[in-house]
Amino acid sequence: MATPIETGGASADVPAPARPALVERADQLLVLVLLVVLWQGLTLWLGEYWISSPWGTLTGFFRGIADGELLMHASYTVREAVIGFALGGVPAAALPFALRRMPVATAILDPFMVGGYGAPKLALAPLFILWFGIGVASKIALVAFTVFFIVYFSTLSGIRALDTRLVQMAQVMDANERDVARHIVFPGAVPYIFTGLRIAMPYSIGGAVIAELISANRGLGYLIQLRAMNYDTTGIFVALVVTTCIVFVGNWSVNAAERFLLRWRPSADSMLQMDS
Amino acid sequence: MAGDAILEVHALAKRFRPRSAGADSPWVIRNLSFSVREGEFLTVIGPSGSGKTTLLNLIAQTDVASGGEVRFRTQVAPLGDAKALKPGLGRQIGYITQDDNLLPWRTCLANVLFPLEVQGRLDEETRSRARSLIEAVGLAGFENHYPHELSGGMRKRASLIRTLVYDPPVILMDEPFGAVDAQTRAVLQQDLLRLWELGHKTIVFVTHDIAEAIALGDRTLVLSRPPASVKSEHVISIPRPRDVGSILARPEFVSLYQTIRAEVT
Repeated sequence: MATPIETGGASADVPAPARPALVERADQLLVLVLLVVLWQGLTLWLGEYWISSPWGTLTGFFRGIADGELLMHASYTVREAVIGFALGGVPAAALPFALRRMPVATAILDPFMVGGYGAPKLALAPLFILWFGIGVASKIALVAFTVFFIVYFSTLSGIRALDTRLVQMAQVMDANERDVARHIVFPGAVPYIFTGLRIAMPYSIGGAVIAELISANRGLGYLIQLRAMNYDTTGIFVALVVTTCIVFVGNWSVNAAERFLLRWRPSADSMLQMDS
Repeated sequence: MAGDAILEVHALAKRFRPRSAGADSPWVIRNLSFSVREGEFLTVIGPSGSGKTTLLNLIAQTDVASGGEVRFRTQVAPLGDAKALKPGLGRQIGYITQDDNLLPWRTCLANVLFPLEVQGRLDEETRSRARSLIEAVGLAGFENHYPHELSGGMRKRASLIRTLVYDPPVILMDEPFGAVDAQTRAVLQQDLLRLWELGHKTIVFVTHDIAEAIALGDRTLVLSRPPASVKSEHVISIPRPRDVGSILARPEFVSLYQTIRAEVT
């Protein structure tokens, strides 16, 4: 901050340099190639019965896409994950705001929330199937239950991290309680909500797949279970690749939404590059 | 310079709640009295930890006094009950704090418009007022920058005009230029004087910097060590408009500086 007045903000107009991103991509490609080589090595060593070959997985993947089987199962899993994510995430993000002016209620709820957060979700899956049947409802319930507590606690910490100096500033300017909630408490908590969503996202896919593994007649988890019973290692690998791809897309979507909504924040990359 | 007192502080006292029941916490402010005329630029000098910020908090009603009286025109601040406070007294008292307290998720312009927005006074006229203030302090071209993209000095300017834009009759300033380098500070001081010459608002400006207090004020109060009370008062007769750069060499500045210097050490 040596040139505070005239040139201080000029660096902000410069877009992030493209070169490091390209280098990063090339390095990622290299790591991918290394992993595939390692995978191929394991296949040769242990045999295709135990470890499916990369090529076999790839062809199995495209065959599954072509005949529609993979997409059909994946669509069920994605639907369960997305609906469960929304049903769990939205109330979880809203509840701490509703409870903000009720510290007693928050304190009363706390041990139950901690209990729900800590409950082993895998062990709950059979219970949800018992209650909601083997269709999509039980999977949605498990995903929603898992997502809810993660997002609840991260939103709560966002509200607790409120900068009271900003609130005081707004009150001096005659802002009422609603203005404070809308213009200060909420935007301040958004980064924390996103932290929760980012952590919860893979859990929502994972939760759906696990519930399907236990009991279902559709979905990627069901497909894995079915293929395992048929000793179809390649088929399992293909289903796992699809699951991973879905997590990638989900992660990318959350990150894109976050980048857009939190563009007011200095990015971690620009902090590393800033040398002054 | 004539005019009745717009703000009056009488026998003000403040102590914070004791940490443990039964124990008495020390007085931060005790028996502090002064008044400010309408349109006056009053500066207050006090050493660090002398309760300057607490004094401004009591005037702005973001904190509650333990005794005495703070009166703005005819309104008297409540004592003892923090819930009865009216921060800013319904836009009557602006408060520029030590930290710029810009909202990080709002652009520079949106921050300046923030008070107008919550006050429901955002229209073409107030918008153009905001624009002209942004130009006056050299922030033009940075309207759409977020606070983290602005320098420390620019954030101070944004914070300053955010209060000027809604035009409160009294403005409290708590070492607003404390955290910037000396060169930027001189520019900011000059900017502040220029803006003040335009409108002659009533300003209470708190600082630990004696030179700043003399350069800016019509009158300066020197606070004692805690518990704070007014130790002495000096009228600053250096004519306006002032130039903060050359004022330091004036003989009346030097003699006043030395007098005050002797009082605070």
